[in-house]
Amino acid sequence: MSIQNLFDEPGLKQITVWGRGVYENKEARDVVVALTEAASKEGKYIQAWENYVDLPDRIFVPVRAYGKISTEEIESRYVYENEAPDIVVLTEETLVKGINILSGIKPGAVLVINSKRSPEYLIKFIKENTENLSKIVTVDANSLSKSVITLSGAEGATDASGIGKGISAALVAAVVKGTEIVKFDNLLELIANKSVAKKAYDQTIVVDADSIQKKVFA
Amino acid sequence: MAVVPYERIPFAGTVPSPQKENEGMITGNWRTRRPIVDSEKCVKCQTCWINCPDACVNLNDDKPINFNLKYCKGCGICAEVCPAGAITLVPELDFEE
Repeated sequence: MSIQNLFDEPGLKQITVWGRGVYENKEARDVVVALTEAASKEGKYIQAWENYVDLPDRIFVPVRAYGKISTEEIESRYVYENEAPDIVVLTEETLVKGINILSGIKPGAVLVINSKRSPEYLIKFIKENTENLSKIVTVDANSLSKSVITLSGAEGATDASGIGKGISAALVAAVVKGTEIVKFDNLLELIANKSVAKKAYDQTIVVDADSIQKKVFA
Repeated sequence: MAVVPYERIPFAGTVPSPQKENEGMITGNWRTRRPIVDSEKCVKCQTCWINCPDACVNLNDDKPINFNLKYCKGCGICAEVCPAGAITLVPELDFEE
């Protein structure tokens, strides 16, 4: 028995969000908090937390926030890292370079990137684990909103700054358009910046990963 | 998962003392903007070499100044202190390598 198959949970979806320390730490956390809270309204079992090993107080360090959404009770609730994510979100585009962001993804996984560049350009930088990727979703969240820079709420402290005020509003809208993991209306009730979320939902680009990989690497 | 005997685990997350580079602390993937030197403007005053907190500036007598991109985390101090304005920060994804 390995770590990968300790828990057989077909109804479980794992969300991993990558951000940059200080600048997008709150936004990365807001993405999982907003998605899991919306799923909770739909009667799902949920969990959202931050990676404890990463260093959110150091500028530009890659940091991770995790979420779990399940139709049944989450048995693996004490596993403190997402080993096999279904959704990977990048709050900043350069995270595609030099980091194994797609490590362990399940078949049919979706990658969401905050970027104004094309998916065809961005896929060139991802060197590993692209076989299981089904869709690439891009949204230019920086043009719609600004990142809320605060350490309020980091590492389990009380968050006094509100959910979905900055670029996370655009990113969750892109996640919902790409994966339909929760209903968009349920999400809108939760997040502060509703107009940004609606605009982002319209502007999000969803492409099939297989077709662009064939085109780029042909 | 490989079992590591406790004698071989470094004390309190320390890494071996580096000669020139430290493989245990590669920070190049923190970078979102890359410093680029305009060799025509550069006067080789070495201000960037003095100020770089990660000692990432390579000085050569015959070649223009360049940066050790394996460790440069793109903080931009070099561009800020350069008296000749020779260093600019370019978005990292503009470079394919």
